Amino acid sequence: MTISLKMRLSLLHLLLLMILLSIFSYGIFTGTRNFLIQNTAVRLRAQAKPVIDRWMNGSIKDSSSLSKEASLLAVDLTSRDTAALVMDKAGVILAKGKRLPSEPVPAPPNPSYFSKSLSGENEITYITKEKDEMFLVTLIPLRKASDPSKVVGIVQLSTSLSPLNGFLNRQKTRLILGILLILTAGALIGFWITYVSLKELTGMVETCNQIAAGNLSKRINLPRRTDEIGQLADAFNNMIKRIEELFETQARFVANAAHELRTPLSALQGSLEVLMRGAQDDPQASRRLTQGMYREITRLTRMCEQLLDLTRITKSTDIHKEKINIKSLFNEFLHYAEIMAEGRKIVINGSSGLVFTGNPDFLKQILFNLTDNAVQHTEQNEMITFTWKQSESGIIFSVSDNGCGISPEDLPHIFEPFYRGDPSRSRRSGGTGLGLAIVKNLVEANGGHIKAESILLKKTVITFSFPST
Amino acid sequence: MTENQARILVIEDEPTIIEFLRTGLKYEGYEVIIAPEGKRGLDLAEKGNPDLIILDLMLPDIDGIKICKKLRMEGNNVPVIMLTAKTSVEDKVSGLDTGADDYITKPFSFDELVARIRALLRRSGHKTETALLEIEDITLDTSSMEVKKNGETIHLTPTEFSLLELFMRHPKRVFTRETLLNRIFGYDFSGDTNIVDVHISHLRDKIQDKPPRLIRTIYGSGYSLNRDKE
Repeated sequence: MTISLKMRLSLLHLLLLMILLSIFSYGIFTGTRNFLIQNTAVRLRAQAKPVIDRWMNGSIKDSSSLSKEASLLAVDLTSRDTAALVMDKAGVILAKGKRLPSEPVPAPPNPSYFSKSLSGENEITYITKEKDEMFLVTLIPLRKASDPSKVVGIVQLSTSLSPLNGFLNRQKTRLILGILLILTAGALIGFWITYVSLKELTGMVETCNQIAAGNLSKRINLPRRTDEIGQLADAFNNMIKRIEELFETQARFVANAAHELRTPLSALQGSLEVLMRGAQDDPQASRRLTQGMYREITRLTRMCEQLLDLTRITKSTDIHKEKINIKSLFNEFLHYAEIMAEGRKIVINGSSGLVFTGNPDFLKQILFNLTDNAVQHTEQNEMITFTWKQSESGIIFSVSDNGCGISPEDLPHIFEPFYRGDPSRSRRSGGTGLGLAIVKNLVEANGGHIKAESILLKKTVITFSFPST
Repeated sequence: MTENQARILVIEDEPTIIEFLRTGLKYEGYEVIIAPEGKRGLDLAEKGNPDLIILDLMLPDIDGIKICKKLRMEGNNVPVIMLTAKTSVEDKVSGLDTGADDYITKPFSFDELVARIRALLRRSGHKTETALLEIEDITLDTSSMEVKKNGETIHLTPTEFSLLELFMRHPKRVFTRETLLNRIFGYDFSGDTNIVDVHISHLRDKIQDKPPRLIRTIYGSGYSLNRDKE
């Protein structure tokens, strides 16, 4: 059986409260008890002291006068709650103070304490138990008034602790009742506090289950919580938002890929059918149709290769890096770019001393794909400009053209695989819709960032930067 | 013959699709005009007097839906078949809402396209798409699947009927055994071409086609239906 967090916290809280209260109560209880016993002992001595002094300064001069006066001394020392015994040096009881039946019975003497007292110790107090009754016993040595070092006998005073114990027991009952009351209240309050703090968790579990069941648009709604629970909810919502975006991108990718496959596939199917229905009997028609089919197969193959590229780059972890002089790389690249540009003017512009640390093949492929993209979206005789420069954070490259531009709705999506603002145009110009997605992956694989800015019908600038290492 | 051909306008921007539509539809006996973009397509639809339009939904300049709407607004009721890669139901509905008569999604079967073209042309009452085909004393009713010679009913197997229909639809055309096999038995039929000779010979017997034959054997090529005297 699993105990809920709420229950566990409440129980823990209760247990802690119980332990603390017990220790505290025990401390108070023993303190009170010790204090009361101490107090009783002091009272016994205080009562006995003047009486003993009077007798020692009076008629008791030595052992023999003690034995004569012992009974009177004992009676003098005995009161309603105090029983006195007078003993000689040998420990023989000379007199018991008890006369009236209401007066308490003195406790029997204890020899070991007796001898200690005899040796001159003044403050001997102990507790003894006699017939189920607790007694506080204190021993006072009787010293000669003329020579205090000479002890002539011992007075034992004893008092019953029953009234004190009765008081303490009542006190104990009160403490236990108090503890129980506090624990009950503590348990209720503790449970309420944990319930209030954790009740959102139950709602969150419910929401999580709904999300797990496939409703990714679901969010945890805790508008007024800013504590850890609120932070957890926020973090969770952010995570789900990201997952939802990824799902949407993935779904769009698959839909786009399927859509891209449809056109070449229908061209292939249609051409084959037309051939088999009879066009095969006409050599010229056959040739045109098979050429078209070859073109479509080439396109499909290219698309497959680029799709593979895309996943390969995403997966690659360790990339070979070297120091590249950017200017010389561009000089090398310019030749190919001009072939690709088909009459568009290519301009390169950047300082010659700059060195870039990264994978040169990646950088070349990035430039090729961006050139290809720029060519597709510009008319002939227009200009495509490449620039690079050193900034505080690293090296910034840019490719700009004054072509047809990208609409603001399309701009955030252009790096997504197969995304096309204008479906027919770029396909006609031979694009697979994967070029920019590959560029983005390549840039990010090299630790860089890429962004695009555009003014519709005016210009497009794609900027990518790599941090300096 | 030429004045009887139905004229089909194809508005499509994919070169390979244009190519097979042009070749295939011409082969089926239609006159084909091509418009590789929307503006030109709209222009040809208005002035070229087509009997039917095959219209791609996604075009570089004006999209297919707009073209279709514009034509209908101008009161042009030429049958339109929409051609697109989109498959969702909403797309189909929106396509048909704009006044398209039919909808076909890529990738599509050319056979199906031809069947739909025929159906639309027949519905719009085009004369080449009559249900009744006639040659000499033989009549073939494509709707009731009946063949008569001199008013007397001839019982043909479905294969023989398809062969005769094909010949009667395309008189004078030479069909190779390969093509006949593909068209009558399906593209994935893997049998021998001799089977075509067997069915032709049965068909000739049933329609009492004696030399000089109506269904002629073209040596080295195949067969052809030709009513001209040699």
